[in-house]
Amino acid sequence: MEYHIKVENLDFGYYDDLILKDLNFWIKKGSFVTIIGPNGSGKSTLLKTLSKLILPDKGNILLENTNLLKLKPLELARHMAVVPQTFNIDFPFTVLETVLMGRSPFLKRFETESEQDLALAQWAMELTNTWHLRDRAVTELSGGELQRVIVARALTQEPKIILLDEPTAHLDIQHQMELLELLENLNQKNGLTVVTVLHDLNLASLFSEYVILMKEGKIFAMGETTEVLTPQNIREVYNMEVTLSHNPLTGKYNITPIARTSLTTNPVKDTHIHVICGGGTGSFFLEKLVQLGYQVSCGVLNIGDSDWGKAKKLNIEMVEEEPFAPISEANIMKNRTLMNKASYVIIAPVPFGPGNLPNLNLVLEACQQGKKVLFIENQEYQGKDFTGGQASALIKEIRQGGAKFFKEPKDLFAFLEQELTNEKGETNA
Amino acid sequence: MKINNKLKILGLLLLLFLVCLIALNIGPTSNTLKDTIKILLAKLPVLGQYIDLGGIKESQQTIILNIRLPRILLAALVGIALSTTGATFQGLLKNPMADPYIIGISSGAALGAAIAIVSGLSLLIGFFALPLMAFIGGLFSVLTVYNLARVGNKVPIYNLLLSGVALSSFFSAVTSLLMILNSQEMSQIVYWLLGSFSARKWHHVQIAAPLIIAGVVALNFYARELNLMLFGESTAQSLGVNIEKVKKTLLVISSLTVATAVAASGTIGFVGLIIPHGVRLVVGPDHRILLPVAAISGGIFMVLTDTLARTLMSPTEIPVGIITSLFGGPFFIYLLKQKNIAKG
Repeated sequence: MEYHIKVENLDFGYYDDLILKDLNFWIKKGSFVTIIGPNGSGKSTLLKTLSKLILPDKGNILLENTNLLKLKPLELARHMAVVPQTFNIDFPFTVLETVLMGRSPFLKRFETESEQDLALAQWAMELTNTWHLRDRAVTELSGGELQRVIVARALTQEPKIILLDEPTAHLDIQHQMELLELLENLNQKNGLTVVTVLHDLNLASLFSEYVILMKEGKIFAMGETTEVLTPQNIREVYNMEVTLSHNPLTGKYNITPIARTSLTTNPVKDTHIHVICGGGTGSFFLEKLVQLGYQVSCGVLNIGDSDWGKAKKLNIEMVEEEPFAPISEANIMKNRTLMNKASYVIIAPVPFGPGNLPNLNLVLEACQQGKKVLFIENQEYQGKDFTGGQASALIKEIRQGGAKFFKEPKDLFAFLEQELTNEKGETNA
Repeated sequence: MKINNKLKILGLLLLLFLVCLIALNIGPTSNTLKDTIKILLAKLPVLGQYIDLGGIKESQQTIILNIRLPRILLAALVGIALSTTGATFQGLLKNPMADPYIIGISSGAALGAAIAIVSGLSLLIGFFALPLMAFIGGLFSVLTVYNLARVGNKVPIYNLLLSGVALSSFFSAVTSLLMILNSQEMSQIVYWLLGSFSARKWHHVQIAAPLIIAGVVALNFYARELNLMLFGESTAQSLGVNIEKVKKTLLVISSLTVATAVAASGTIGFVGLIIPHGVRLVVGPDHRILLPVAAISGGIFMVLTDTLARTLMSPTEIPVGIITSLFGGPFFIYLLKQKNIAKG
């Protein structure tokens, strides 16, 4: 595959503090690459190095087959356009004058912009929805309008590669999508190579072909979007717990933040917790509980269910049922045994139907035996009942039986933590 | 350049010519405009021999040709120099409040001039000592500021401004000290500081004209770069400007031009700040039109104010720097108000 930019052994630092450490990667010609990473991970610095705004301390950057670091600004400007993160302008150029400046690298010293240059500017301004602003002073524009004007100027340069530093930062949600769709369009139709820093992981997931994930000046992971944007990678880089869900409308993954990852390492605990879940409602609880060091079990789950998959991956003890089959007597027995071993039973916000109703029966049983039952209220299915009222009746009884009900997972975890400290206090006393 | 803009520049050039012509005619000895034009035309090659100067006194001709004309030309040149460099520094420093003296040229030149006056150098080597010392002082100051501001290969704009302010106040202090210690020459120094075209002759023009014209023309070559630099150095570089090289070039050309103007006339204030600023309010920030229009407007303004300086309290001359501030200030406020009213 042909590269557009190739970076070799790149170091950059202010004084002795290295901001970019030994970066090696290449960007495929005509690809859409997103650079993501937490604040201070070196994304913007990397972009500035790629656009020769700052020079690396060590290493090489190749643009196609030439040494980018040896190119004159004019030569580079004829090939590459840069959209910076922020800048201010105190001088009242009109929007059209500003956009036409994108033609500067192609004009001789006293040459005036031609009709073609003007047509090119108009094309870029219509694409970025700024043509109607052409006679306004840039000093009077809103942040979002200015951002689009700067993108228009970059496009007027007719670049073969465009570098953008958080281009969506000042934009509302409509203009964010509009801008990224525009870039995607130019990328697909004109073969424009797009390299952009983004903060929003969902936008990154939606638009990028490749993702470079940075952490502390190094590339933590890079590759195709789905390979890089995994909950594991995000946890390690951002200290955030997220869930990925496939969005059938876009064919991409939605990334939903759930909680911050606890930074302390969690010792293995004796406490056993049983989780009742299904349809992906329990994945987060299973993962988080295992991570917190609890002994976890779950069930009954149908084979092939997404929570079943998660439990398998986490190596959790579980009671399995045939795909889509109602829960059998034998499995109810097995699950009762598992639940008896547990100190807590957590019920994820799973909808109950005739198939998994026995699980709810078991919960009531446990509740009546004095086991601590922690129930996440299902906001989505509130008021709906797929069992002709049986499930609702059971839940009502469970509530009367002394179960704790939580609105949010984080409340539940706070409760567990409180329990844990109380317990410790008692043993100490 | 748009045709509209070319017309503006041509119109202003014509106006400058007319203003000079009228200024030539104003003074304690009055001529008719017709006589003045005749005297000028007679000096032209080829055409000159057909002009009949009969009836115009020899002294009249001397006053026009050897006293008023060089003085007016020098005023126009200095006005052009200060306005162009003022606009350049405003663009270079991204600061609409910058003036040609902002990085210390004026204070260095003032110190040089003060040394020339108090040391008696002027008496020793003649009229040339003072402008020469001012020129050297101005350039020395810029060079010092530049080296103070430099970080490796780069010259950060903030460093340049700060070093300029620091060195300026230091040099001003030394100048003031010299004035206190040499109170008999104080008025001479103060007079020079305020700026004047009094008693400037052809040899002043001969030295200043080539330097100023070359400098101003060269600065106009960088109009597009200046436009781009107003958007910040990174943006300018991404659009193909070799930032550090352009900065250095502009600093060198501007400094030489300003130092020449200051050496010829003293530190005339206000013109280099107000004219570019006022012109920008009218024609916009594009240096391709701003630089030439500011230059010619500066020339016109300077010829007008110098004419006032020599006639208002005749035979006493008022230093032209007083007039520029006296009339320029209110005019500038008027322009600002107009702009604000237009904006609503």
